[in-house]
Amino acid sequence: MSDQIIRDGDVDTAVIAEYEQSRRDLMRKGLVVGGAVIAATSIPFFLKARNAMAQADDDAAILEAAVGLEQMAVFAYTAAAKSGKLGKASAVATLFAKQEQEHADGLIQALESLGGKAPAKPTKVEDVDGLAEAAGGDATDILEFAVDLETSAVGAYYDAHGKLKAPELLSTGASIMANEAQHLVVLRQALKQNPSPDAFVTGGKG
Amino acid sequence: MTVDDFLRLRDPRSRRDFFRLAGLTTVGGSAAFLAACGGDDEDETTAQSGGNEDTGGGEGDAKILNGALDLENTALAAYTAGAALLKGDALAVGKQFLGHEQEHADGITQAIKDLGGTPNKAKSADEYAQGFPSLKSQKDVINFAIDLENMAVAAYIDAIPKLTSGQLRQTGAAIVSNEAEHVSVLLGALRPSDAARQVPDAFVTGKKA
Repeated sequence: MSDQIIRDGDVDTAVIAEYEQSRRDLMRKGLVVGGAVIAATSIPFFLKARNAMAQADDDAAILEAAVGLEQMAVFAYTAAAKSGKLGKASAVATLFAKQEQEHADGLIQALESLGGKAPAKPTKVEDVDGLAEAAGGDATDILEFAVDLETSAVGAYYDAHGKLKAPELLSTGASIMANEAQHLVVLRQALKQNPSPDAFVTGGKG
Repeated sequence: MTVDDFLRLRDPRSRRDFFRLAGLTTVGGSAAFLAACGGDDEDETTAQSGGNEDTGGGEGDAKILNGALDLENTALAAYTAGAALLKGDALAVGKQFLGHEQEHADGITQAIKDLGGTPNKAKSADEYAQGFPSLKSQKDVINFAIDLENMAVAAYIDAIPKLTSGQLRQTGAAIVSNEAEHVSVLLGALRPSDAARQVPDAFVTGKKA
């Protein structure tokens, strides 16, 4: 089986390369089958968001990208909670939506203090790539989508720690990243997966 | 140190007292870690608020990392000591977390060497045990582990902004997120059917609200 490549790459950074490597690894394990080319348009939104944070070059730009990511997460968890497919996990989705909103609120305040402006919030399912497909599936599909979302958020904050300059933003970013990692614990347990598989939580897919 | 002393750590205001109380002979180098980070007083923490340019690390980073290494060695001693009281799934979790803490310690040790520093040596099991509360049940071990992990989270959150190397800040963030995961898993072990209690705060600081 030939390796897949990314084309139409408006987001062809190391982040996407990592995603691509992960897909290759999965293909070798027989877990993924499909076409020979991944178009940029099929790359999940959260990878684009992580990419945006990775490309940001100052604190305000990083914050703006982080706000966008958090707003996507709020929207996704709210939609998941209302889907009626999660059973008891619906309360967890509601809690996570609330916590993502707290992140967004805190980041927006910091962004505005730097003279920035929050990006527009998503208003419909189609604004979040992949959400409609996940919401159309079962509880496992929704939980797996949430795992990907949180993993990318962790990766975005991990990337940001190499660039952020303001000490208070570094502390806040670490406390948010740690919360996203805790979300992953609950989601993985719901999926009967190892809740804490890696000693270094980087948002990597390997 | 008594159990009451340790439980008092649940109050964030007492964390600094803990470092004074415990000293280097009881919790490895937590006091040194805090000192290397510039303390957790608000005034000291904000003293560097002018910015954090990446200088690629240096002597100060090595000092902070040695404090972190002491914390990791303390965690290794705690999980090792507690394993005898764990059974079944809890034992499997304890072993996994022990492995994680060892990976942290190994990575930090290498980073200190890369910076030209000398990694602190771990103390003996008996020396660590003298600073631990009395552990008589699996629940005792889990509660103790939660407190230790929260303390580590707080210490790393304090330390990250003071590291001058961007790469080391990333490593610190990766470790603190893993410690936060441990807290969630351990909280879940205490209350298996209450997922919401596993993630009590949107901003994870290691300090009790």
